[in-house]
Amino acid sequence: MIGPRSLARRARGALRYAGGRDAPEVGATPRELVWSRDTARLWRYAGDAATSPTPVLVVHSLVSRSYVLDLYRGNSAIAFLLRAGLDVLLLDWEAPDEADAENTLETYADDYLPRAIAAACGVTGARELTVLGYCLGGDLALLSVARHPELPVRNLALMATPVDFSHMGALSGLVRAGRLNAADLVDRSGNVPAASVEAAFRLLKPTGEAAQYANLWQRLCDEEYVAGYQAMNRWVHDHVPFPGAAFGQLVEHLVRDNALMAGTLELGGRRVDLGAIRCPVLSVVAERDHIVPLAAAEPLPRLVGSQDAGELRLRAGHVGLVAGRSAATVTLPGIADWIREHGVAAAA
Amino acid sequence: MADRPLWRQAFDAAERALAGPAEAAVRSETFNDALAAALRGQRWAQREVERRTRRVLHMANVPTATDVRLLSQQVASLQREVRRLRREQEGEG
Repeated sequence: MIGPRSLARRARGALRYAGGRDAPEVGATPRELVWSRDTARLWRYAGDAATSPTPVLVVHSLVSRSYVLDLYRGNSAIAFLLRAGLDVLLLDWEAPDEADAENTLETYADDYLPRAIAAACGVTGARELTVLGYCLGGDLALLSVARHPELPVRNLALMATPVDFSHMGALSGLVRAGRLNAADLVDRSGNVPAASVEAAFRLLKPTGEAAQYANLWQRLCDEEYVAGYQAMNRWVHDHVPFPGAAFGQLVEHLVRDNALMAGTLELGGRRVDLGAIRCPVLSVVAERDHIVPLAAAEPLPRLVGSQDAGELRLRAGHVGLVAGRSAATVTLPGIADWIREHGVAAAA
Repeated sequence: MADRPLWRQAFDAAERALAGPAEAAVRSETFNDALAAALRGQRWAQREVERRTRRVLHMANVPTATDVRLLSQQVASLQREVRRLRREQEGEG
């Protein structure tokens, strides 16, 4: 039974939550814009002097806001990597507008990413860097490094990166051949609207939102929990549109043809050969990932040509890889250790 | 779990019972076919409403959302042209 005192505390918590006044600031780690092109932005984070000579370029996904990587003070993957002595940069695609609607996978893999990598090397003075891709950002990194083996990428770490799209479940079911075409989901701006992206994610766990509200009600008295809930809830409902042309390619090639697995992906008239990726590769997969199921990400190390391709398997969910307790205690330390082990020897 | 309140235990039991079937349902062929048909229908209805309201508003010489969108598309197209020219220039430089 809930007593009157507990009820009053909950009411206070509910008012705090509804007012949103105590919501933590998201994306608060100080950073500097070091490069931009169209809507793509390259940020460099301010940390204490990096002890690792190999900077880390984080490549974010195309469908969500990047502040999930720097959620709030005390729950920030970026801040963790900075504390681990890494020089951290983030490539953020921001929200695409109508001018971005014709961006193809080539636009990202052949133009933005190589230029951002060059800019990151330029600003840090490093000869090589580690690319850390998250979700679809991992796919873009994979395509870019495969098509441009000359890029100064020392290591490739990929978190929850789908390669076998036949296991993407409900996310791909709607656009299988014979149902909807990519064009049916694109609005007049030429992009897939953010609301549709969000609805697709919600469909994956129909009871998920109710369970989250139950958690919130149970822990309304816990200020720290409520603050974290506010930040995460904001992110969950803050998607960005998906550039229409790239979405069309994703549906045609990656979902319908499962071309990454079949090795038949062609972009710009040239076959994408994942076997051309020779640098060390780490695939970080989450056993409870409901967005990119384990089976969709698991084959990655077998597809690349690297002799040093490994897997870090965690009992976490999709977001749990980058935010929350499991990220801070398992995922991020594991990634930071791997990056340090695979970095160049620090100058004596 | 002993430390969970009764209401939460009941909620979790209900959620456990519902989550599996609900997730299986949204993955099913029937659900996806129905959703695809619904989305197509919604798109058709939206176009029809726009077509009809456009005709009425144009009779009164009032610009419509379609007109604004066309302008916006033209601006986007110009932006893309500028980007293309910049890339060409960088390629030559």
